[in-house]
Amino acid sequence: MSFRIPRGMSKNKQTDDANNSVISVNSLSKAFGARLVLNNIDLEIGRTQSVFICGVNGAGKSTLLRIIAGLLQPDQGSVQVCGYNIRKEPEKAKPQVGVIAHKSMVYPNLTVFENLSFFASLYGVKNGVARIEELLEEIGLFSYRYDKAGILSRGLLQRLAIARALVHNPAVLLADEPFTGLDAEARQHLVTILASFTDNGGTLVMTTHDIANSIQYCDRVMVLDRTRLIFDAMTCDIDTASFAQDYLLYARNIN
Amino acid sequence: MKYFWLSFKAIFIKDIVAELRAKQVLPTMIVLGMLIVWILRIASEASSVSTTVIGPVALWIALLFAGLLAQERSFAIEQQQDCIYALLLAPVDAGTIYLAKLFVNVVMLCIFEIIIIPVVFLSFPLSVQNRWLSLIAVLMLGNIGISSVGTLFSAVVQLTRTRGSLLSIIVLVILAPMMIPATFALLTLFGVIGAQVTGSGTLAFVGSFNAAVGYMTAFDAIFVVACWLLFGFAIKE
Amino acid sequence: MRRILLLLAFVLLLASMWMALTLGQITPVKRNTLYAHVPSSVCALLCFVVVLVGSIGYLYSAKPTWDLIAAASAEVGALFATMLNVTGMIFSRAEWNIWWTPSPRLITSAILWFLYVVYLILRASLPRSQHLRARVCAVFGIIAFLDVPMVFISARFMPDIHRPSFSFDSSWQTAALVLSMAAIALLAAVLIWLRTDLLKNTAKLEKESFC
Repeated sequence: MSFRIPRGMSKNKQTDDANNSVISVNSLSKAFGARLVLNNIDLEIGRTQSVFICGVNGAGKSTLLRIIAGLLQPDQGSVQVCGYNIRKEPEKAKPQVGVIAHKSMVYPNLTVFENLSFFASLYGVKNGVARIEELLEEIGLFSYRYDKAGILSRGLLQRLAIARALVHNPAVLLADEPFTGLDAEARQHLVTILASFTDNGGTLVMTTHDIANSIQYCDRVMVLDRTRLIFDAMTCDIDTASFAQDYLLYARNIN
Repeated sequence: MKYFWLSFKAIFIKDIVAELRAKQVLPTMIVLGMLIVWILRIASEASSVSTTVIGPVALWIALLFAGLLAQERSFAIEQQQDCIYALLLAPVDAGTIYLAKLFVNVVMLCIFEIIIIPVVFLSFPLSVQNRWLSLIAVLMLGNIGISSVGTLFSAVVQLTRTRGSLLSIIVLVILAPMMIPATFALLTLFGVIGAQVTGSGTLAFVGSFNAAVGYMTAFDAIFVVACWLLFGFAIKE
Repeated sequence: MRRILLLLAFVLLLASMWMALTLGQITPVKRNTLYAHVPSSVCALLCFVVVLVGSIGYLYSAKPTWDLIAAASAEVGALFATMLNVTGMIFSRAEWNIWWTPSPRLITSAILWFLYVVYLILRASLPRSQHLRARVCAVFGIIAFLDVPMVFISARFMPDIHRPSFSFDSSWQTAALVLSMAAIALLAAVLIWLRTDLLKNTAKLEKESFC
């Protein structure tokens, strides 16, 4: 595969100003038994960047995200979030991270409001009620706040998942294929919420394999292929249309 | 440490509210308990053993099986939408999650006992003779012991093929030694045997009511601490 | 090497039997099960200690070998716990005409057997991947071990139908007991060793090896 790299730009990682880096991954390796999934990954992500990590299924995107979130132990290497090692100083690092995954991670029998106040308590959010109400307004769930999470539609549930991820004001939002299963309107709404998150100083790291639709929303795009990061560039520096095409070709020919 | 009390309270309240809303496990526990007590009552008529002996035994068996149900549920609710990961993502210590869930299970067993004890008294000719406080103490020790092991293993057993029955055998085998002093304590409280037993045999091994309570307390302390320490290993990857 | 050790163990065992029966002249002959019963009980307990060590080792270092040692030891321990209970029942039937009675020693020996069996069932029920099986079995191994000291304590300190100690008629019999103890301990160690290697090779062959 080959992506058209703009003249004068190398394929290597784009390092942001080191002082500004919110996520710092160093020599990360992870293997599941005999199968190597990530091999010596290094990357730095700065504040307010919105990064899309692309790759085909099984490339290791979710694994990378789970290691950054502190859910998995890497075999080698470390992850720092806002300067704190996520495995060694979880009390300082975990409040900076919010995660959206395939399942919504909310309790179906509790109402929207109860779910959010539970997670707010877990993270020790001050003035929880005010924060939750403000968040619900922003996300558009205020009128559903006394409805049980189990009866919400998929789009609303996704919004609740985002609210859960953002209730503690994290510096980083990790989203693992958040657009799956959403219709156009829900997708648009999600894009708005994510954009306002980064506008307010947050850093977004998203995995996706639908690059064509998503490329216009991100600042930086990376491609993970067979255990390595093979492409890493700012979207303003590349031709997004041709990148999208190249990526599609690459994805089809991966075998 | 900063998050301990807040998260403990939050998890405890969340579990209780979720269970009261679902109204699933408590009714099942109660019905199971009642059925066990009645079946044992019917069986005890056929045997030559006096029904006063079977009464306390019925109580423990009902408690054990109801406890298993409660423990299985305590992590089943976290499986539904992968909520266990949400708990692991939060800066909550795994030990705190364990203690909160343990407390929930103990409370569920207490609620269960409030209902099942009248049933046992209805079915069997038992009398406690003003030793109510001792009875409550012994039952509480039993609750804590039964819940301690089950809460730990329920977290991992969710992922296996056989699920429920696997939790049952694990908990029952580990609690088996505790059942000896527990049975002794209840038999003494209900006046079936005296406060001291000598001779050979398992009850003599325990010796006295105070020794029985001592053994139960020791079991509870050891198992709660051990499970609390190991819980992190059980749920984290 | 291991074959030699195994052979040695069997030879020692036979030697102890011969010693007990001819030189020691134990009568009645049914007391012979003693020479399998006592060493089995010691081995069953020791195997659980190895399970504990393997479990702690695995949780501490995350190296698969520790887990395999624990698993092998659990299998061998289950074998000896079975022998313990069965020879005990045979002996008590021969000597006192009862198969079993709920006395502390017998109950706790049965619990030991159950602990081993539940360990093995747990191991078989868990999916092989993601270090999960190793982790869960290690946790179970440690918690289960908390029940084991009772077996030991009840044997030594409590009055029971089970005779806590016995005197021998001649020193040949004592020697025979010591010999059979050595034989069975050796047997246990070699079996654990063999089994660990077998498990390691199985894991390698199936290429799951802790994925």
